[in-house]
Amino acid sequence: MSGHALTRRSFLVGSAGVAAVAAGAGLVSLSVRGEADADAETDKRTEVVHSLCNSCSSKCGYYAYVVDGELTKLIGDEAHPNAQGKLCARGYGYSQIAYSPDRLTDPMKKNENGEFEVIGWDQALSEIGQKVNDIIAQYGPEALAMVQDPRPSGKYYTKRFMNALGSPNVYTHGAACNLSKESGFTQAIGAANFESDVANSKMTMFIGRSYADAIRPSSVAALQQAHENGAHIVLVDPRLNNSIAFADEWVPINPGTDLALILAMSNVLINRDLYDAEYVAANSVGFDEWASAIAGYTPEWAEGITGIPAADIERLALEFAEAAPAASIEPSWRGAFGCSYANSGETARALCLFNTLLGCWNQPGGALFLPSVKAGDLDPAKFPEVPKVEAKMWGAEEYPLALSSMGTNLYVAEMAKEGKVKGLFFYNSNMAAGYSNPAQLAEDFANLDLMVVVDVQMSETAMLADYVLPECSYLERRELPEFVGGRVPVVSLRDQVLEVIHPNTRPVDVIFTQLAEACGVGQYFPFTVDELADAQLRSVGTSLDELRQVGTISFPEKAYAYGKVPEWKTPTGKIQFTSEACEAAGLSACPVWVEPQVMPNETVGEFRLIGGKQAIHTHTQTANCEPLMDITKSYGLDRIWINAEVAERLGIADGDEVILSNTMAEGPIKVKVTERINPTAIYMPSHYGCKSPDQRTAYGVGLNFMDFVPFHMEPAYGSAMTQETLVSVQKVGE
Amino acid sequence: MIYEPIWGAIIAWYLFLAGLGGGAFATAVFVRYRHPDCKRLMRVGRLIAPIVVIIGLCLLMFDAAAGFAHPLRFALLLTNFGSVMTWGVVFLAVFVVVALIVLVLDLMKREVPMWLDCVGLVMGLCVAIYTGCLLGVCQGFPLWNSALLPILFLVSAVSTGMAAVLLVGVFYAPDEFNEVVVMKKFHFWLPVIEFVLVAALLFITAFNPSPAGWESVMSLVAGNWAVAFWLLFVIVGLVLPTILECWMLWLAKHEFETSRTGQMISALSDAGVLVGGFMLRLLIVSAAVPITIVQPWML
Amino acid sequence: MARYGMLINTKKCIGCYACRTACQRQNDLLPDESFIRFEEREVGKYPNVTVEHIPLQCMHCEDAPCASVCPTGAAHMGSDGIVEVDHGRCIGCLYCMAACPYQVRTRNSKTGEVDKCRFCTLSSYENGTKMCSCVDACLTGARIFGDLDDSDSEISKEIARTGAAPIAGDLTRAKIYYVR
Repeated sequence: MSGHALTRRSFLVGSAGVAAVAAGAGLVSLSVRGEADADAETDKRTEVVHSLCNSCSSKCGYYAYVVDGELTKLIGDEAHPNAQGKLCARGYGYSQIAYSPDRLTDPMKKNENGEFEVIGWDQALSEIGQKVNDIIAQYGPEALAMVQDPRPSGKYYTKRFMNALGSPNVYTHGAACNLSKESGFTQAIGAANFESDVANSKMTMFIGRSYADAIRPSSVAALQQAHENGAHIVLVDPRLNNSIAFADEWVPINPGTDLALILAMSNVLINRDLYDAEYVAANSVGFDEWASAIAGYTPEWAEGITGIPAADIERLALEFAEAAPAASIEPSWRGAFGCSYANSGETARALCLFNTLLGCWNQPGGALFLPSVKAGDLDPAKFPEVPKVEAKMWGAEEYPLALSSMGTNLYVAEMAKEGKVKGLFFYNSNMAAGYSNPAQLAEDFANLDLMVVVDVQMSETAMLADYVLPECSYLERRELPEFVGGRVPVVSLRDQVLEVIHPNTRPVDVIFTQLAEACGVGQYFPFTVDELADAQLRSVGTSLDELRQVGTISFPEKAYAYGKVPEWKTPTGKIQFTSEACEAAGLSACPVWVEPQVMPNETVGEFRLIGGKQAIHTHTQTANCEPLMDITKSYGLDRIWINAEVAERLGIADGDEVILSNTMAEGPIKVKVTERINPTAIYMPSHYGCKSPDQRTAYGVGLNFMDFVPFHMEPAYGSAMTQETLVSVQKVGE
Repeated sequence: MIYEPIWGAIIAWYLFLAGLGGGAFATAVFVRYRHPDCKRLMRVGRLIAPIVVIIGLCLLMFDAAAGFAHPLRFALLLTNFGSVMTWGVVFLAVFVVVALIVLVLDLMKREVPMWLDCVGLVMGLCVAIYTGCLLGVCQGFPLWNSALLPILFLVSAVSTGMAAVLLVGVFYAPDEFNEVVVMKKFHFWLPVIEFVLVAALLFITAFNPSPAGWESVMSLVAGNWAVAFWLLFVIVGLVLPTILECWMLWLAKHEFETSRTGQMISALSDAGVLVGGFMLRLLIVSAAVPITIVQPWML
Repeated sequence: MARYGMLINTKKCIGCYACRTACQRQNDLLPDESFIRFEEREVGKYPNVTVEHIPLQCMHCEDAPCASVCPTGAAHMGSDGIVEVDHGRCIGCLYCMAACPYQVRTRNSKTGEVDKCRFCTLSSYENGTKMCSCVDACLTGARIFGDLDDSDSEISKEIARTGAAPIAGDLTRAKIYYVR
C-alpha cells in the first residue's frame, strides 16, 4: 500500500487552496476560498468525489467537484496511471451527458406498431424474464448472447448474468476495435498486448496509431517526453495525424499495406544480419522458416505495394537496428490493424516478430509487459460460483484465432439471421451503428425473439430493441473497482458523483441483478455492488471505504522492473515465428504477405475509405454531447479529407459538398482539401451520421462510416475489416 | 473555424434607416433653400427623417438582446466617448430631437429657424457618416476597415433620403415633384458616385494583404452574395435608376417627363435606389470576412 | 500591480481541444460558448507537410479595441492588465466582437451578453482558481501564465528564451505570446 492519502491531501490543498475536512461517507467537504465571508444563504456546500471517466476505454481517474449537487469542475487524478493529473477534451465535455435532455428516463417496450411505450420496471423485468426462459426452453441457453463494451461493473455483471443462464456467448466490441491485433499478438507472443516504452526509447514507430488523436493523457506525456529526449519517432499512417507535433517523420503509407512494410524491414534486418540472433535463438521457434519465407520481401518489393521509397524502408530498418534494443514498433490499438483489413491479424503477428528481431522485450526503451493486479478468490458462500459453461461461444470454431475474451459478435448477427441466436442483450454498445453494414445488422436483429438494450440514450441499437432499459449515467453510479496495469499497478474507483437525476434509471449492477432474478437465476446475485467491491478490494489488502477516501491505490510491491525475460504464454512456451494454430486456421504458419481484400483503382476514381478517431469523440457514443458536438459543428469536423492534388484534379475546392458513394451507400458530405492525406485514400471520421432522432444534437450531422462498409469478417480472426471498402466522390451539381 | 457573421439583417436595416433619415432631413433642407415653394415635399422629408430613425433605433435596441432585457443599461451608452457608437448615439439623439422639433414646427405651420435646420442637417450627415465609421474602425474586416466606407455610406444616405422623399412626393405632391428639377439632377449623380466608390472599395479590399479581403470581395462578386450584389444592388440599385433618370432628365420630352407615366418611371427609379441602399448595407454587413490572424499577413 | 500574460507554444499544441472543454466546464459556460478558438495552418505539400495548431483567445491587449469601441464601458481594462467584461453594463450590441481583430469574443446565447477569456485564475469577477483552466488542462504544457513585468517569472524567462511574440506583432500590444 502506498501513501496515497498524502498525495490526496496535497492535491486538495494544492489545487484549490482549501482547508479539507473529512466528512462522513467518504465525501470530503470543503470550505472554498472566499466563502468564509459569504452569508449563510449563499454558503454553498462543495463535495469532492473521485471517479472514473467513461468517455473512452482508458477510464481515467478524476476528482469531481460538486457544488450543491451540481457538477462544477473536474480535475484529473495525479495518481491514476492513465490520467497522470490530466483529462482530455472528452473527459470534461462528456460529463455533461448526465444533464443531457435526450437521456433515456424510463423502461420502454416496443409495441406492435413499432413505437416505444413507457412501461414500469416490474413489467419490463417480468416480460424479459419470461421470454428468456421461453428461449432457453425451446432453443437452449446457447440461443442467448450478450454484447458489451467493457466497463468496471458491466464486464462483471453481463458475463455473470449470461453464464448463470448457461450461455457462453459474451462478446465485447473487439471485432470492430482491436480483436485482430490482440489475437495476432497472442499467436506470436502469448500476450494480447504490450506497451512500448516510448518515453525512454531511441526510436519508436507508430503504425496507424495517434496518441494525439485518440488520447490517453499518459500516452501523450510519454510521446512528448520521447520527443524532448531526442527519440526518433516515426508515424506510419495514410494521414498526417496530430501526433506529428512530437514526431520526426511521417511515412504516408498506402492504407492496408503495413504488413508489407514490416516484412520488408524484417527482411533488411535478417539479410544484413542486424537482428538479435542470440535473443531469437533463445526465445523463439520457427525463425528459419520465417526467414526463408520473407526472403523475397525486399524494400524494392515493398515500395510497389506501400508507396514508400525502398531507400526509406531500408533506412528505417537500419535506424531500428542502430537504436535496438531501445526501440520498438508500438502495439497500436484499433488504428491500422485492430480490425481494418484482411491482413490485420497477420500484421499484428509480424509486428511482434519484428520487435523480437530487435530483442527489445522488457528492455529500457523497448516493448514491455507491465504488471497488473487482480482481485483474489471471494467467499463462495457470499459470492456463489456460477457453474462453468462447457459450450463454446458462437464463432469460436469458424474464427478460431479470435480471442475468446472478445469473440466475434458479427458472427452472432449471422446466427441471428439463421435463427440460431434468439435473444440478444446489449450493454454500453451501439453495435447497430458502429459495425459494418448497419442496414444488414438491423435486418439480422429483426429475426430475434428478444432484443434488450441497456443504455443512457436512444442509440441506433436501442431503436431496434424490443425493450430499452435506462441506465443512470456513469456519474450517478458506483461501480466495481477497476484494476489498472502499469509500471506500478493500481486499483481505482468510479464512485457516485451525482444523485440519480432521473428516478426511473438504474445502475448496471441493479439492472442485471434484477434481470437475473426475473430469469430465475437470482441465486447467483445475492450481494450488492458495494459488498462485492469491498470483498474484491479486501482480497488485495484494502477496502471500499479506503478506496473511496483516496480514489486510487497503488501496489508498489508489484512494480515493474526492466530486464526480466517474459514467460511466453504460447503453446510452445516461446515466441512463435510459426504458429500451429494459424496454420490450422488456414493461414501461413509464419506471417507472410496477405493482399488486402480490395485495392483502389485510381483510374476509375476509386479511393479506399479510412476512418479514425478525433480527439473530441469516441465512436458514436459522444456525438450527442453538446459541448463536444459544438466543436464538430464549429470547425466542420464531419468533413471527409481528400488529398489536395486529387481534389484539384476532380475540381473540388475546400468546403465543397460532394456525394460520397459506393455499392453500399451514398450521401452528401463536405470536403476538407488537405496535403495531409495519401492520395489513394479518403478519410471519414467515424463518429457521425447519427440516425436516432431522439439524439437531437447529433442527429443528421455527417455520414456514418459504417454505412459504406460491407458485412464481412477477416478470415480466421473474425474482425469487421472496416477499411476493406472503396468509395468514389462526385462534386454536387456535376 | 466556420465564421458566422456577427451582425445580420436587423443591423443592416438599422444602418439603412439611420442613413435614410439623415438623408431625408438633408433633402428637406435642400428643398427649403433651392425649391422654397415646395412646402409639401419639404414636409415629406421632415416627416420621414425622425420616423425612420426612430424605427431604426428600435430595431437596434431589439437586436441588443442584453440591453433589451435590461433597458436601464442603455443609460450607460454615454460613458465612453472613445467609441464611435457613443458618438453615434449623441448624433442620433440630437438629430431625433431636432428633427422632431422641426416636424412639430412644420405641422404647426410655424417658421423653422435656420439655425435649427443647420443643426439638423449637420447631425443628419453625421449620422450617415457615423454608420460607415461604425464598421470602418473594425480592423479585423478588410471590407469595412477603409476610409471609403463612411463616404460611401454618406452618399448612399443622401441618395436614399432623396429617393424616399421623391417617391412619397410622386403620390403626395405630384405637382411639386415636377418642380424640383435641380434636386433631381443632383440626385441623378449620386448612384454614379456610389458606383465609383463601391468599385474603389472592392479593388482596395481585394488587394488587402490578408486573404480575407479577397474572399470578401469574391463572395460579393462571384460567391454566395453574387446574385444579390449584381441583381439587387448593381442593376436595381445603381444601373436602373441611372438609366431611367438619364432618360427622364435629359432624353425624354418635358411633357413626357412631367406626365403621370414619366412620374411613375421616376418613382420606379427611386424605388430602385431604396432597394439598392438597403442591399448595400446588408451586403457590406454580411459579406465581410475577418482576417485569418495566424497567417503572416501583416508582417 | 502586475501585468499578466500568457505564452502558448504551438510547437507543443496537438489541437486536441482539451483547453476549450476544460475552460467551458470549469467556468460553467454554455456548450456553444467558447473562449478559445483554433486555427490550423498546413505548411508544405504532400508528403512534405507539417501542420500547426494555433489556439486563440482574448489577448488582453494593452490597446484593447473591444474596450475602445464598447459604448457602455462594459469591456474595459481591469487591474493587472486583465481586460474584463462587466456583464451588468453589457447591452449586447456586439460591437466589441466586430472590433476584436482576433475574433475571440463570444455571445452568450442565453443572456445576449458578450464574454471572453477572463484569465480565470485572477479575474476579479470570478473567485479565481489556482491556475487558468486552460493552462491546467493542457496535456502538453504548451501554456504558461504569469507576470510579464516580473523578469524572474517563468513566462518572462520563456519569452526571452524562445523569442515568443504576439500573434499579430504590434497590432494591439497583445499579452498572449506565441512560440511558432
